[in-house]
Amino acid sequence: MRKAPLCRLVYVSRSALSGSAAENEREVMQILNASRRNNTRDGITGALLFSEDCFAQVLEGSRAAVEKVFERIQIDERHRGTVVLACDPAPAREFGEWAMAYVGREAAREAHYAQFTRENRAAIASQEVLGLLRGAIARTSAA
Amino acid sequence: MEGSLRPSARRSEERRCEACARPLWRGDTLTELADRAEFRARLEEALAFGRPAPLQPAPQELAVLLIDLDRFKGVNDNLGHAAGDALLRHVGVRLRSALRDADLAARLGGDEFAVLLEGLAGQEAVSRIAARLVDLLGRPYLIDGCIAHVGASIGIAFARPGSEAELVLRRADLALYKAKSDGRGRFHFFEQELEEAAEARRALEFDLRAALALGQFELFYQPQVDLAENCLAGFEALIRWRHPQRGLVPPDRFVPLAEELGLMDEIGEWVLREACTEAMRWPDALTVAVNVAVPQFASGTLVKKVATALSVSGLPSSRLELEVTESVLLSESRSAIGQLAALKALGVQVSLDDFGTGYSSFTQLRSFPFDRVKIDRAFADDPAVVRAIAALGTNLGMRTTVEGVETAEQMERVRGEGCTEAQGFLLSRPVPATEVAELIARLGERLAGIEEEARK
Repeated sequence: MRKAPLCRLVYVSRSALSGSAAENEREVMQILNASRRNNTRDGITGALLFSEDCFAQVLEGSRAAVEKVFERIQIDERHRGTVVLACDPAPAREFGEWAMAYVGREAAREAHYAQFTRENRAAIASQEVLGLLRGAIARTSAA
Repeated sequence: MEGSLRPSARRSEERRCEACARPLWRGDTLTELADRAEFRARLEEALAFGRPAPLQPAPQELAVLLIDLDRFKGVNDNLGHAAGDALLRHVGVRLRSALRDADLAARLGGDEFAVLLEGLAGQEAVSRIAARLVDLLGRPYLIDGCIAHVGASIGIAFARPGSEAELVLRRADLALYKAKSDGRGRFHFFEQELEEAAEARRALEFDLRAALALGQFELFYQPQVDLAENCLAGFEALIRWRHPQRGLVPPDRFVPLAEELGLMDEIGEWVLREACTEAMRWPDALTVAVNVAVPQFASGTLVKKVATALSVSGLPSSRLELEVTESVLLSESRSAIGQLAALKALGVQVSLDDFGTGYSSFTQLRSFPFDRVKIDRAFADDPAVVRAIAALGTNLGMRTTVEGVETAEQMERVRGEGCTEAQGFLLSRPVPATEVAELIARLGERLAGIEEEARK
């Protein structure tokens, strides 16, 4: 069977969660569970970062599947100010083993919305997000 | 991030009102929302059903939201119509995601949407939904691997049961118009003042359409002074509208409307004739400058009208100067430049008005051999800008007039900065034709006085 070409999307958004750190973490766990369920069904892999003020996420899959997930994400009230940093064809999955890997606030201390959304550096910011996620996941796996 | 997706909207058929036994749900095939006819029917139903009945609790207000997408045309133009359709479908889903199942969402056509909210308590609750919709519809869309951005403007009107659907829709539309004119990407509630403003505009429009036939326009004249000779060079003719009840209406209150209504071509023709005729009463050396607007070029008959105005009045063409703004060059510039060239061939002078405020590009300055550049009044106090434009004018063989000169000191300075003419309240406000002769008589004295004052 010929596989549909692979597409990778990287975005950041501002968190609209207003609870305590623990409450927010719980909310994000719910997001993550729903996401993993849907992604397994839709052939999406990727990673989600949640820091103090922002979400950053990588989505990999067929373009149609990525667009469908992205639209679902866009109508979620728990974030706003989405900036798509990259949406490109990809030769292979970076997060192939993960329905949605997770990097929480402990590992994502240096991730800030303002830093990722500075003007004219989307390409660099997208590499930073990918690097951050790769690094954090590798550390977790090794531990 | 993802999760808690609301259950998709219940199918329209289920929400059909059984009691009124309307046979068909009329839906928009693209978005699967209601269409215009369905929205209208449901609105009328809601207004009728909620009509106060004995022993019933007070009927609740309902709210109509009219939604226009901002910059949607850009998506169609840049990404194609298929992408535009995909975006409209996403808008439909996003709309539904923010509404309760019982709320009605419709696509009225093109990029216009509407929402009917019933049983919501007051402005605050509706504000929350409207704000949510503005936010939601303004978020980026991903279509065929491309990111598309549109915004949403929303107009909202409340209605009590028993109101006319037509009235509610018109009010929401006025509010939408306001949301757009306030800068788009926002919502606005209908207020009585909007209706009053619309009514005032309609009345102004009615009066303006009759003004020319009723002879209510007048020309005022403002002197232009030759800075090298320190003498009067001519006058700029400025239109005024004297209405029996409104009094003297300033041009910024009616010229844009006249342009919008397509009246400017005819009014402009009258101005040309009147100004030429008036100038024939002045000493031979004085010129008259007349403003020519974009619509006068659009009709393609300007050259003929100018020639007629000259021949009917007997004014030598060298005494007529036509002032155009750069908007003339921007609109269908090839045809405009052709007409300007034909006017110059008649012997008329052509000047570029309000220079410095718009694009003020060198391309435009070079696109036509203007006789004069008029520096906008905003720069009368900016020596660097005035000096630069004066130098540019000198090098391109154009004269330069500074507008808005208000003090003797300013006049002395712009003279030193190389400008060739000046105009402004220092010399005189625009005066009616009947006062021109007197102004000519005393201007020599005034100029001597100004020189005296500047020397002090």
